[in-house]
Amino acid sequence: MNLVRLFVEYKDYYITGIKITLLLSLLSLIIGTSLGSLLSLFKLSKLKILRLISTFYIELVRGTPIMVQIALVYFGSYVIMGVNMDAFLAALIAVSLNSAAYVAEIIRSGIQSVDKGQWEASRSLGLTNGQTMRYIILPQAVKNILPALGNEFVTLIKETSVASTIGVAELMYTSKIVQSTSYQPFNPLIIVAVTYFIFTFTLSQLIGLLERRLAHND
Amino acid sequence: MIKIVNLHKFFDHKHILKNINLEIEEGEVVALIGPSGSGKSTLIRCINYLEEPTSGEIYIMGRNIGNLGKKIDEVRKAIGMVFQHFHLFPHKTVLENITLAPNLTKKQSKEEAEKKAIKLLETMDLLDKKDAYPTSLSGGQKQRIAIARALAMDPEIMLFDEATSALDPEMVGEVLNVMKDLAKTGMTMVVVTHEIAFAKQVADRVIFMADGEIVEENVATEFFENPQNPRTKEFLSRVLEY
Repeated sequence: MNLVRLFVEYKDYYITGIKITLLLSLLSLIIGTSLGSLLSLFKLSKLKILRLISTFYIELVRGTPIMVQIALVYFGSYVIMGVNMDAFLAALIAVSLNSAAYVAEIIRSGIQSVDKGQWEASRSLGLTNGQTMRYIILPQAVKNILPALGNEFVTLIKETSVASTIGVAELMYTSKIVQSTSYQPFNPLIIVAVTYFIFTFTLSQLIGLLERRLAHND
Repeated sequence: MIKIVNLHKFFDHKHILKNINLEIEEGEVVALIGPSGSGKSTLIRCINYLEEPTSGEIYIMGRNIGNLGKKIDEVRKAIGMVFQHFHLFPHKTVLENITLAPNLTKKQSKEEAEKKAIKLLETMDLLDKKDAYPTSLSGGQKQRIAIARALAMDPEIMLFDEATSALDPEMVGEVLNVMKDLAKTGMTMVVVTHEIAFAKQVADRVIFMADGEIVEENVATEFFENPQNPRTKEFLSRVLEY
């Protein structure tokens, strides 16, 4: 088959691209989720200033295209701070910061979807705010958070393809190279689409598995 | 045991509680009755600070709970509360629901807390449900578990916020019986209720509230046989009509 031959011929390019895509996805997933959790706590905070900061941040990120964000980090770092930032690092920062905003909203709504009576019952028994969050609210919120978080992770993998616009040699970038060296405009796109699909499908299956396991002890 | 002085509560601009003054002695069972929206639930929720008063003071066993800050948890451990909608923890078994708080806040060992929980379940006649999850229980069973959960903390005071209002009629009795037994043990109880017969039988004192004010209070027998205020009379005639 033409596709297989093409893949084998350029396999070194593809393997590098896959590695970089996976690394970029994994790192931004970790950073984005951590930062997003923190932002969601800000948004639920009693302090108005923290709520304002996180709302402002979330709206800003959600209201601008990721392609613009990635370019802003990459070129902005030079223009504003005079630093010649590595393209991979710029992509990692942009994708993480982008994902954090969405994760924050997902966690916030998951926590708020737990009945207010659960807080009251827990606090009336003398549990502290932190204990209530940890033992009562979060275990229940996870069931609401997980499916939406899975969607967000799938989106994140796909969005790392935007890193190709600043020259990060990830999967999409590889595909462009193969297109131009092999003079084949179409087949490399099929390969790249199938590869992304394998990643995202595997991930959503894994999350589905986790969901079912959690639903089990209901 | 409980002393409330000049308590006011506003929600936005709505005046929910208007200058409430109230004292409840140790071992007393007080029934709070009145039309819905009269502020009785808000008042009972102020007693363990689930609702923060706008002004006024609340003393629990001599401590002003308004300026405790984080130490409010200490006071809450001594006040059990039972809610209209039970609020059992759905991700925990019946036994875990009861042992969680003593285990976490009183540093009771797991065995110690479980022993106590099993004893409570026995008195509630629900021992066979100890490993069940709350979703599989009837309303009456849920509420009895909720009472057991509160009692596991060895509280000095028990608050009941319309504990039977969300139950099917045939389950009201089983919960009221548990409350009646509890009253006999000398527990200090504040009961917001629509069950007039229960208030008559079990309460030492009845307080009638309307529009955020205490309209009338009296020992239970006097209150029902000889109501003074026209609003009390009107309310009683309406609820006793059937």
